[in-house]
Amino acid sequence: MNMHIFRKFIFLISFLLIFACNKEEPVYELNQINSSSYNANKNKLKSTMQYISILYANLFQTALSSNELVEITNCIESIGDKEVAHEIVLSSFMNSQQVLIPSDSLMRSDLNHFIEETYKRFYVRDITEAERKFFIDFFESNPNVSSEMVYMAFALSNEYQFY
Amino acid sequence: MKRRKFIKKSLIGGAAITMPFVLPSGRLFASSGNRMADHVVFVAFAGGVRQQESVLQRYLDDSQAYPSAGNIMYNILDGAPPTDKIVYGTTNYVNGDTPIPKMLSQTLQQQGTFFKEVNASVVGHYAGVNTLLTGNYMFTQGLRNKPLTPTIFEYLRRLTGEKATKTWFIGNGIGNSIPLLDYSTHSDYGAQYGANFLAPIVTFGNSGDKHLKNAKVYHPEEELDPMYKMKYFLDNVWYSQGSALPNIGNTEEEKLEIKQFVRDMFQKKDNGSIAFPPISDSGDLQTIGYACEVLKRFKPTLTVIYLSNVDGCHGNFSSYLRSLHRADHGVGHLWDFIQNQVPEMSGNTTMIVAPEHGRNDDPNGIKDANAFYGYDHSDSNSQRIFNMMVGPGIDSNLSIGNENNKVGDIVNIAPTIAEILGFKNDIVNTGLLASNQSFFDLI
Repeated sequence: MNMHIFRKFIFLISFLLIFACNKEEPVYELNQINSSSYNANKNKLKSTMQYISILYANLFQTALSSNELVEITNCIESIGDKEVAHEIVLSSFMNSQQVLIPSDSLMRSDLNHFIEETYKRFYVRDITEAERKFFIDFFESNPNVSSEMVYMAFALSNEYQFY
Repeated sequence: MKRRKFIKKSLIGGAAITMPFVLPSGRLFASSGNRMADHVVFVAFAGGVRQQESVLQRYLDDSQAYPSAGNIMYNILDGAPPTDKIVYGTTNYVNGDTPIPKMLSQTLQQQGTFFKEVNASVVGHYAGVNTLLTGNYMFTQGLRNKPLTPTIFEYLRRLTGEKATKTWFIGNGIGNSIPLLDYSTHSDYGAQYGANFLAPIVTFGNSGDKHLKNAKVYHPEEELDPMYKMKYFLDNVWYSQGSALPNIGNTEEEKLEIKQFVRDMFQKKDNGSIAFPPISDSGDLQTIGYACEVLKRFKPTLTVIYLSNVDGCHGNFSSYLRSLHRADHGVGHLWDFIQNQVPEMSGNTTMIVAPEHGRNDDPNGIKDANAFYGYDHSDSNSQRIFNMMVGPGIDSNLSIGNENNKVGDIVNIAPTIAEILGFKNDIVNTGLLASNQSFFDLI
């Protein structure tokens, strides 16, 4: 009898030793966030037609008609210095009543949000901290810089020429 | 000790004197030759011009087997115009019945040196103009590709340090890959030495009216300056990761000047004060008018003007004759304008006129409204062109070569321009030209 109790005792001790001393391993987890890579792997130059149709859709939130696309492309082809040609076409867009850009007061009310959204709108990527610092400092030291001027700079920049 | 100090100072001084000065263009020394003129205007009298209707003045006699000969290019060439079956002028009673009055009191032939029979081995428009501008036959060059060897614009800018707005390439349109000829893909040259291209009848035509005329005028300091600062920041960030864009190197001031020019041209167009020739009823003549405005504004060192309306000859010989007559009228107006309306260029400009190739000996079978046959460009007759030069230091009233004696080649034009602008030795030393001879070497 005692032997039977002893065996049960040994079995209980063994069970506890096997299963009770299992050390719990820590689990490290990361919260998943969505972020586009810096410069977003853009390595293809937009054609003049691509550039104009994308820019028009960006600024007017509507598609450019095929006739107008051909006409504007021809205008750009007719001027050798493409920076000059783009600037003239873009400033003509900016003269339109239909262009959709945030107001200056909206821009100034939340500079951080404005520049973040501008990077996403034009470059389809997140702003880096260095870029954010430059723009916030620049906006604060240049109170007359308007949202239109910022949009012009982005639309004329070289990164916007690539996809 | 004193002697040692003297030698040391002498060596330093000598080194300083002989140290090459690096120009912004990347070259070490300024161009080595003397200029014959400070400006060259080269009219690519292009589109394919038959010798028979131009130099040989056979009008309908040769092409249509109709006995009427005469000179329809009487601003460029000596010779009386035809008197029978006039179709090349403006319209009074019937199409083209009124010849355009002569512009120049003295023909260019009388004022300059005329190579009457010159060889042009390629007979396509793009290949021909490419050869005119590069001094190289582009036998392996594909259409719709930039030139493989440097253009005369790039040689000029790289070898003499000229600014971008001192070189202009003015085309009568954007077809035929013409806008690609402003610079080459050559690794030592390229975009940064290119010309400012302009196709004015597009820029200032209906499309331009609709999409460029309304361009906003930004204040240079208050608006453009901060805008460019932001753009430069964005571009600098991009350059650390991305590819560079071709840039012909206009400075901010030059870009501003071009934008102002575009704006002014729309105003002048509205006012009716563009310097068009007296008759300006064709794309070529309108192009000449805007080219005059470019000359007046920028006083370029090198301007190339591309005309091509005569290419209508494929299917409309009457239209070809009209275009030829108008191209001559345009060239006469251009020379007159330079001499009388641009004081900085008057007496200090050389003009060169040459087609990019000729046209066939035999017609193609397509008849126009006058029952005249059209002509293509593919046979050996298409390899016949002329070259006219007029300006300071160029012999007047000198004709070289004839129908049976070809003198000169289309590839001699690029070294000729280099010689006029004082950098022939430099261009020859690049070793990139098909011929080191200019037309002056052939006189």
